[in-house]
Amino acid sequence: MRRVAVVGAGMTPFAEHFHLGIKDLVPMAVSEAVAHVDKGFDRSDIQAAWFGELVATDGQASGILADTCGLLDIPVTRVENACATGNDAVRNAFFAVSSGHVDVALVVGADKVRETSSRATFWEWMAMTRDQAWDYPLGLVAPANFALHAARYLHESGATKEHMAMVAIKNHKNAVPNPKAQLRFEITMEQALNAPMVVSPFGLYDCTPQSDGAAALVLVAEHLADRYTDKPVWVRGVGLGLDRVMHQHKTDLTTFPATVKAAKAAYAMAGIGPGDIDVAEVHDCFSAVELISYEDLGFVPRFGAAKAVEAGETTITGRIPVNPSGGLKAKGHPPGATGVAQCVEIFEQLRGEASNQVSDPRIGLAHNIGGPTAVSAITVLGTERG
Amino acid sequence: MPRLTVLATHLPAWGTDRRRTPGSDEDALTLAVAAGRAALEPGTAPVTTVLLVTRDVPALLGGVEPVLLAALGLDEGARCAVVLGGAPAALDAVAEAAPGTLVIAVDVEPAAAAAAAVLGADSRAGADVAPLRRAERSLPTRVRDAQGGVHDYDDPRLVRVRGTGAGIARLQLQDKPLAVAGVSAKDAAAMVQGTAAALPSDGAAAALFALADVVARSGTGAVVAVEQGTATAVDLGAGAVRLVVHAPAALPVPTTRLAAGGDIKISIPAYERAFDSKLGLQAGACSACGTLALPPRYRCLECGCEDPHGLVPLPRRAAVYTAVTVHVPVPGLRSPYDLVIVELGDTGVRLLTTVTDRPAGEIGIGDSGTLVLRRLAVRAGIPDYGYAFQPDQVQADATHEGAA
Repeated sequence: MRRVAVVGAGMTPFAEHFHLGIKDLVPMAVSEAVAHVDKGFDRSDIQAAWFGELVATDGQASGILADTCGLLDIPVTRVENACATGNDAVRNAFFAVSSGHVDVALVVGADKVRETSSRATFWEWMAMTRDQAWDYPLGLVAPANFALHAARYLHESGATKEHMAMVAIKNHKNAVPNPKAQLRFEITMEQALNAPMVVSPFGLYDCTPQSDGAAALVLVAEHLADRYTDKPVWVRGVGLGLDRVMHQHKTDLTTFPATVKAAKAAYAMAGIGPGDIDVAEVHDCFSAVELISYEDLGFVPRFGAAKAVEAGETTITGRIPVNPSGGLKAKGHPPGATGVAQCVEIFEQLRGEASNQVSDPRIGLAHNIGGPTAVSAITVLGTERG
Repeated sequence: MPRLTVLATHLPAWGTDRRRTPGSDEDALTLAVAAGRAALEPGTAPVTTVLLVTRDVPALLGGVEPVLLAALGLDEGARCAVVLGGAPAALDAVAEAAPGTLVIAVDVEPAAAAAAAVLGADSRAGADVAPLRRAERSLPTRVRDAQGGVHDYDDPRLVRVRGTGAGIARLQLQDKPLAVAGVSAKDAAAMVQGTAAALPSDGAAAALFALADVVARSGTGAVVAVEQGTATAVDLGAGAVRLVVHAPAALPVPTTRLAAGGDIKISIPAYERAFDSKLGLQAGACSACGTLALPPRYRCLECGCEDPHGLVPLPRRAAVYTAVTVHVPVPGLRSPYDLVIVELGDTGVRLLTTVTDRPAGEIGIGDSGTLVLRRLAVRAGIPDYGYAFQPDQVQADATHEGAA
């Protein structure tokens, strides 16, 4: 197994890009990642690409990447793993480079959510991802999937809607300096608690917006890293975890076993523990999911998330800053792009280049959960080779 | 001669005391099941035939009977037939039924009500219901077109004089009847001996509500049902009839929004695969370790056994494990609506479902209730039935039983 370095990273702004299609967003992100390589990069060096896209738009996914980015002579593989798509695309490219089959790999994540009306989007995606006989006819929309967890979590943990709001307030604040973020404004506790309800206990500000966007990373084998940069970021660990698909079969809705398993795998590969993480991008599609994930990632003890967020432990200057980019909550959430964009943020944080820079991080973590809560993918990046 | 052994009446939770309306998750079939199950529990004589009398049949060509049998927990070999008719047809069905018949009568519009009668073979139990006389004339003052649209001639005096009045006269009854179904409470009061109860509807179900009223008053004698120009009379004899009355306090219909432009697609293969478990509320039971799974699954949740599993009935008592309320519009559904995961008895089995018979947003973790058949969605025009959670508040003081 060879070590793998990230040498370039880029992304489009996350937004409702009504004027841009997937065939625009994908090449925009790739060009920015390529341009971001310190010592220059010739895209003909790319030997293979992995494309994370949850819902195909405007045509066949891998073909669109090859076609729109001038990469018609390399293999391109589409990765789809629900909202864990982005970090799983990173994981697959990592394995190709690590194994020695590929020296230079491209990872792209993208989704074009706002190609349908905002109401129809919920529903069109549900039709594909819910049990047809048992779940779909009930109207188990995306926020409801997580709200079922959150309601039980609040009941058992003692956390409140105020704690959920603290997460949203923090992530909105973090997004303000981030030029790529979709919701660059601060919110108050009063606004969060008085917002219209989406699916109780989630009000509007507990929920991610619907977003379009793309993100890209350039991964290279250890022996090539110096050719591209003096400041590589190393892929220290990757992990993927799964859980039962239907809520009815999950015994404890206050935790996401998929995340626990993915984290265990990623930490083991990196040879670290949760206490070694200096900065994290955590899947906060809904505010309570960030709270639960603190616990599943091992950042705080079980049911310790409320106390941690009260103490500001996950703010930019806290013990373990979480979602300095604004997170899914305020940066936005084009599902296929989300995990890749988290790695773009961690790449910039570890190089000291982030728009909302935390103090001198050495190791960062990116985390996705999805499907609705059946799969989690985690990437651990570091400034040192390990 | 068959004997009337059980009468059960059921009113939906919505509307006013004078006029009940079906919830958005109710239709003739769910009302029929509610009344039918009330009549069948607990452990009545075996039923081999089900007759559903109504003029409101869900648009499910060829699909009504299996849903009804499965939801009633009856063997699929039982005979089930739908009789299109009003109050006279329901009364005739009771008087002419063979032993082992469950007659269910349902009205949906303009007022919702359902009732069921069990006819047994044991001459020592129940009461005789003997046909007396029938008179039929055409007076089509209210008809339905092929799309189910109602066309009313709208001349109540004509109906009273040439329809119900003339019909009852043609029955040539010796004495005034004890109850009359199919007319307004005011008209009935003028036609009967003593004081008859106001009936909740004027269609098929009204006939069985009239029988139940007479049973409750320990009366014996003629009971009449009329519809337009048709009238029929039966003679109710003496004997103990078990009476089950389910009449929850009426709640105003909550304000909900139906989001436009949506259609909930359906996969008929998925519908058919799930049918026995979903309509009968049965779990798959692992043939090796007995672990229950809902929905049933190929590989056991616990031991991994992949041998064919059997289906076992699940308890209908349930407690809420988690609950949320969906406020956003969802195409094809009425918002707001509740989603709950409930635990069934002490089986460890959980069901994700909706809440019925209460406005959205009232349910909390730990609440207990009962699973009842509801129309969970209409998908591409096809009703999709399953079990919804009915909180205990609905049941409290709503049901009483007696014998007369």
